[in-house]
Amino acid sequence: MECNEFLYSLFLFIDNEIKDEGRVQSIELHFQHCPPCLTEMEREREILVQMKELLVKECQEAAPENLNDRIAQQTALLASQMYSPTQTITEYRRTETTINGETHIEIETSHEIRREFPLS
Amino acid sequence: MTSEIEVKVPAGLLATEDIAQRTARFEKDAMQYTNQLYAAAIRYTKNPHDAQDLVQDTYAKAFTSFHQFEPGTNLKAWLYRILTTTFINTYRKDQRRPLISDGEVEDWQLAASASHTSNLGKSAEDEVLDNLPDGDVKRALHEIPEEFRLTVFYADVEGYAYKEIAEILAIPAGTVMSRLHRGRKLLRSLLLDYAKDRGYVGSDGM
Repeated sequence: MECNEFLYSLFLFIDNEIKDEGRVQSIELHFQHCPPCLTEMEREREILVQMKELLVKECQEAAPENLNDRIAQQTALLASQMYSPTQTITEYRRTETTINGETHIEIETSHEIRREFPLS
Repeated sequence: MTSEIEVKVPAGLLATEDIAQRTARFEKDAMQYTNQLYAAAIRYTKNPHDAQDLVQDTYAKAFTSFHQFEPGTNLKAWLYRILTTTFINTYRKDQRRPLISDGEVEDWQLAASASHTSNLGKSAEDEVLDNLPDGDVKRALHEIPEEFRLTVFYADVEGYAYKEIAEILAIPAGTVMSRLHRGRKLLRSLLLDYAKDRGYVGSDGM
């Protein structure tokens, strides 16, 4: 493997986004023979790890308490609007089929609109 | 949720859910993510006030379509997807600005970003990151264009894989790769600029 070919895959490699196992192995093999590439990868990875730590630390804003209250009230209001007099009932159904020892499980959902009678 | 019932009922009807039950399930499962949704929303709106409205609108849409959520799949990612749609529909509707052209990453761009000769620069970059004052990274993140900012957030704060980010932002996985790559580069060069402004590193770059 040429260095250029490796450098092209550097970011995908660091992000664990190379799905082809053979390709991952050939990159790791390249590291054994090419210390500069290994150093390059380790530096890049180190910078990325540092950057991630900083980003995680600084992007942890907690939702203000009144936002949680607003959402809870909104959900209750929407639920009451959806409830009466018509509502959608969801059914979860499971089907299990075994063919030649292989079991397939299927979960189906269906939605049914039900209306209460008599209407006032 | 259904996984518990599955064990008890081997076949046939698993459960029915009415509005009251769905509400209870929503409160239990979806409401635990308000902090994460809020932190994400700030990346979209860049200010706490709009972020709160965005999160509230997202929860309204999520609740009214909660019956469409497939139990057992990733609820937080589903909420992020709704957050994205809500943001685009509500907060960007009137801004007919052209999106930053992505352009897939060209081979030469990837190669140019990584070459053996830049090692000296990178060790200095390490030092810059070590000495950043609080708030610099967030400031830099908010300075880069939205497309790059959101991709970097989902990859480097939330730790999602390219495929998951592609679903959340409704863009192809190849675009995630190019945005992430360019976003990280932009972020790093901004941080280096800040350090230069403060005199941490020489004006020749290092």
